[in-house]
Amino acid sequence: MISTLAHRALERDGLGPIRDRVLAGQRLSEQDAVRLFEATDLAALGALANHVREARHGDRTFYNRNVHLNPTNVCVASCKFCSFARKDDQRASEGYTMSLDEAVEKVLSRRPLGITEVHIVSGLHPDLPFDYYTELLSRIRKAWPELAIKAFTAIELHFFAEKFGMSYEQVLRRLMAAGLDTLPGGGAEIFAPRVRRKICDDKATAEQWLEIHRTAHRLGVKTNATMLFGHIERLDERVDHMRRLREVQDQTHGFQVFIPLAFHPEHNMIGKAFPKPTGYDALRTLAVARLYLDNFDHVKAYWVSLGDRLAQTALAFGVDDLDGTVLEERIYHMAGATVPQALSEKTLHQLIRAAGRVPVERDSLYRILRVHGPTAAPSPVAVSA
Amino acid sequence: MPQKIRAAAVSFLNAWPLTAGLERSERIELVLAEPSRCAQLLEAGEVDLALVSVAALTKGQYDIVPGMAIGADGPVQTVVLAGEQSPAIWDEVFLDTASRTSHVLAKLVLDAMGVHPKFTPAAAEEGLARAKGTKGALVIGDRGFDVRANHVLDLGREWTQLTGLPMIFALWAARPGAVSPEDVQELTRAAQHGLGIRTELAQKFAALKGGDPERYRRYLTQRIRYGLGPYELQGLEAFLERAAEKGFLPPMPLRFVDDVVRKQRVRRAVSLDTALQKGADGERLDADEAELLDEKAPILDLGLAADMRRRALHPEGLVTYIVSRNVNYTNVCTTACHFCAFYRPRGHKESYVLTREELTQKIDETVALGGIEILLQGGLHPDLGIEWYEDLFRWVKAKWPVINLHALSPEEIWHIARTSELPLETTIERLIASGLDSIPGGGAEILDDEVRRRIAPLKCSTDEWLTVMEAAHRQGLKSTATMMFGVGEEPRHRVAHLLRLRELQDRTKGFTAFICWPFQSANTRLTPGDGSAHAYLRTNALSRLVLDNVPNLQSSWVTMGGGVAQAALHMGCNDFGQVMIEENVVSAAGTTFKMDSEEVERHIRDAGFRAARRNMRYQLVEGARE
Repeated sequence: MISTLAHRALERDGLGPIRDRVLAGQRLSEQDAVRLFEATDLAALGALANHVREARHGDRTFYNRNVHLNPTNVCVASCKFCSFARKDDQRASEGYTMSLDEAVEKVLSRRPLGITEVHIVSGLHPDLPFDYYTELLSRIRKAWPELAIKAFTAIELHFFAEKFGMSYEQVLRRLMAAGLDTLPGGGAEIFAPRVRRKICDDKATAEQWLEIHRTAHRLGVKTNATMLFGHIERLDERVDHMRRLREVQDQTHGFQVFIPLAFHPEHNMIGKAFPKPTGYDALRTLAVARLYLDNFDHVKAYWVSLGDRLAQTALAFGVDDLDGTVLEERIYHMAGATVPQALSEKTLHQLIRAAGRVPVERDSLYRILRVHGPTAAPSPVAVSA
Repeated sequence: MPQKIRAAAVSFLNAWPLTAGLERSERIELVLAEPSRCAQLLEAGEVDLALVSVAALTKGQYDIVPGMAIGADGPVQTVVLAGEQSPAIWDEVFLDTASRTSHVLAKLVLDAMGVHPKFTPAAAEEGLARAKGTKGALVIGDRGFDVRANHVLDLGREWTQLTGLPMIFALWAARPGAVSPEDVQELTRAAQHGLGIRTELAQKFAALKGGDPERYRRYLTQRIRYGLGPYELQGLEAFLERAAEKGFLPPMPLRFVDDVVRKQRVRRAVSLDTALQKGADGERLDADEAELLDEKAPILDLGLAADMRRRALHPEGLVTYIVSRNVNYTNVCTTACHFCAFYRPRGHKESYVLTREELTQKIDETVALGGIEILLQGGLHPDLGIEWYEDLFRWVKAKWPVINLHALSPEEIWHIARTSELPLETTIERLIASGLDSIPGGGAEILDDEVRRRIAPLKCSTDEWLTVMEAAHRQGLKSTATMMFGVGEEPRHRVAHLLRLRELQDRTKGFTAFICWPFQSANTRLTPGDGSAHAYLRTNALSRLVLDNVPNLQSSWVTMGGGVAQAALHMGCNDFGQVMIEENVVSAAGTTFKMDSEEVERHIRDAGFRAARRNMRYQLVEGARE
C-alpha cells in the first residue's frame, strides 16, 4: 500500500501519472523509466518500488547459500572495466588456471557448509579444451548430485561456440548433459552499441548475449540478467538495456532475476576516469528496475558490490533478493571491493530482520527452502490509488 | 515560577557541595536539620525531598534523585570505629545516634571480621569517652576528623577492601511524584556549582569550626565521591543486599525519579498516519507520537515525512559540509566507557598526549587542505587542568587565526571544571576568553540515565551534560548535539533523548545541528543493539521530525558510508558533515570510510543537491569552491 505521505510526495514531484500506471498494474514506458531516473526524490521513488516489491513478495527476502568458483582469470577479451582478467597464466601477471582436480576439490570442500549452488564464471581462456568445462561440470554433478550448477556467462558460451565450432544450442546441450542447471547473468554490461564499442568491443554483442539467453530459455534453462552501471553509459542507455531484457522476458519468461551491478573502478582501465557510482545511483537504479521490469519476479542487490549497509537499505527500494553467502568472491574484490569475502547466514538474517523483513532461503530456481520466521503474505496488487 | 519544593539536608561539611548551590534557588527551598530529623521530615511529608542516609530509604517508598550522592571509594575519614584496643576483642560498641547507615556498615564490617559485639546507642561524645578496654565506639560526621584513639577503623576503607566497590552513605530521596525532571536539573546545577567551589567551602568551614582548610579541601575533593553512576550504584546495591542478608535492613528495591516519571506516563492511543502527517507538516510531536513513530513507522514513511520537513526548512536544495580536522589531543581517559575502543589508562604504553610539534603538523596540514576548523576532543586526562587548555587555545589562535576551535565535549568541560575546582560558568568563561569558538555535542550517547548508568558508568549524567550545554549557550557559544544509538536502548530512551534536547533548545537556541550514528562495536566491551543502516535512517528521520527547533541535521557518512548518507539526505538531512582528515575514536572501532572534498561534493551532487562549504555556525563560506 502506498501511504498518504508517499501520495503527497509523488503528486508534488509530478509523478502522479506514473504512480497511477503502477497502481493499475500497467506497463511503464521507456520515457517513464527515464523520468523516474531523473526524479530526485529518492524516498518517493522508493515508496513506489516498495509497493511493487511488497505486492509480489510481502516481507520475504531471498538469499541462498552459494559458493563462487572462478576456474581461471586468463582471458583473451580486453574489457576496460575488468580488474580480474589476466593475459596469460604466468606468475608475473598473476594469472592462474585451476586444474580440474583443484577446481572440483574446491567446490567439494564446501560440502559441510550446506551450500546449495555453485556459481562458475571464468575468463575466456585461449587454450583450454571444451572437455575441461564439460568435465568440470560432470565431475561436480557426479560427486554432489543435489548441488545446483549455475555456470558460464553468455560471453563464455559465445566464446565456446566460436572456438569449438558449435551453435549456441549445441554448446548449451553439451553443458546441460554434463550437469549445467542455470546460467548466471554476467557479461550483459550495457547493451547499447555505443557503450559496448568503448568498453568491451571484442566480446559477444548485445544480440548474441540475448540470443544465448533466449536459446537457454527455449531449452528450459533459467537464467539471470545483469546490467553494469555507473561508468560511461547514459540513463537512456540503462533504460534501453532494461527494455531489451523486458522484451525477451515477454517471449520466454526465462529470466529469474535482474541484478544491476555497480561498476568498481580500481585496477582497471576506465576506473581512472570514472569513480564508482554512488549509493544513491545504486538505490535509484534498483528502484527503477523494480518498477520498469514488470515481468521479472526478482530484483537482486548484490551485497558484494554494494556493501552490506547499502544492500540492506536497498530492501526498502524494491529489492527482494540479497544474493547469498557468496564464499570466495574474487572478481569484485580484485576491483577494490572491501566487504568481507563471505557473509555468514546469521549475518544475512540479522541484516534482513533489522530491515523489518523475513529471511527466506531459496534454491537456485527460487524455490523456497526455508522461511526463517513468520512472514507477511504478499498483498494483492492494488488496482486503484 | 511554580511554588518552591522543600528540601531538607544535613549541615555536615560533606553535604555542602550538594546544598551550597541551593541557597539562592528559585525552585527549591532548603531546610537544614540533623540527619535523623531530615528522615523524619521526609517521612512526615513536611519536605518533598531530603538528603538522607541510605538506610532511611526503608522508611517509605521514596524516589531516588539520579546522578548524585555522598559516598566514598576508599577512606572516608568521617565514619570511623575507634577504641583503645583492637576491634578483634571488642564485646560492646557504642553507636553514635546520628546515622543508621553507618550503624549497618559498622555491623557489616565487624561481622566480616568475625566480631559480634553488643551494640549500644550512645551520644557521640559519651560513646567515645566510654570506648576503653574491650569497648569501641562509632563516630560519624565532622567529629570524625578529630578522633584520637589507638585503634581507628575507617569504615569507607574497610568497605572498599571488603567488596571492591564504593560506599554510598547518603542521597537525595523524594516523596513519590514530588520531584520533576526540572527539579532534578536544579539539584544537578546546584551540585555542579558546589563541586566547583569546594576550596571556598573548605575555607568557610574552617573559619566557622576551626581546623585546617587544606585538610577539609582534600576531604571534599579526594575522599568524598559525589557521583551516583553505575559504579556507585553497584556499591549501593551490594550494601543493601549484604545488609538484607544479615537482617540489618529489610530488602529494598531502588526506584529513581526518572523511572517514576516514566512509569506514570500512560501512552495515549495515537494514529500512525496522524503522527506522520503532523511530523511532516512541522507540528510539534509529543512523546507518545514520537515513540509510536520510532516503534511502528515504516522507514520510507518516516523518511518522506522528514524529507518534507527538510524541504520546508531548507527549500534551496543546498547541502553543506565543512572542511575540518578531528584532533584527539589525548587518549588518556578515566571513564572507561563500555562502548569506547579509543581510551587508554594513564601510563599505558599506547597512551599519548599530543605535543605542540604534532599539533603543528596536523593544523598546518588542515590549513593546507582548506580546513577552517579543528574539532579538538580528548579523553578525561586526570592531570590536565584548565591552564593547559587555556595555553593550548591561545597558542592555536595566535598561530592560526583562520582556524576555528570547535572543542571539548560537555564531559571534558565538566572534567576541567572539576580538576581545576572551578564553577562551571567560570570554566566556560575562561575557555572562551582563551579562544574556544564552539563546542561539539559528543558524549551525549543516549541522554537517559537508565541507559547511561549501564553503558557509561563514569560519564556525566544526562542533567550534567545538559547543564554544561545550557551554561555554554547562555554565554553565547553554539554547539552541536549528538546521539549514539544502538546500545541496547529502547524507543522511549531515544525519544527521551530527543525531547530533552528540544526542551533545552526551546530555551537557548544554542544547538546548530544534530547528528546521530549507531554504536560501532568492534574492539569494545558492549554488545551492540541494532546499529544497521536501516536503524540509522529511521532514527535520523525521526530526529528530524522531533527536533523541530534544531535547524540542521548532519548525515553520518563516516560511520554509514556514502551511499547510506546520501539516502539520509533524502530522509531529513541537509548537511554532509565533514571532510574529515582523521577521526581516531570511530576508526578505533572499525569504521574506515574516507572521502576528500571532491568525493563529498560528488556524493552531494549525485544525490540531486547543490554542494556548498560552510563554517561551524552554518554560514556559507565565500569562494569555497575553486
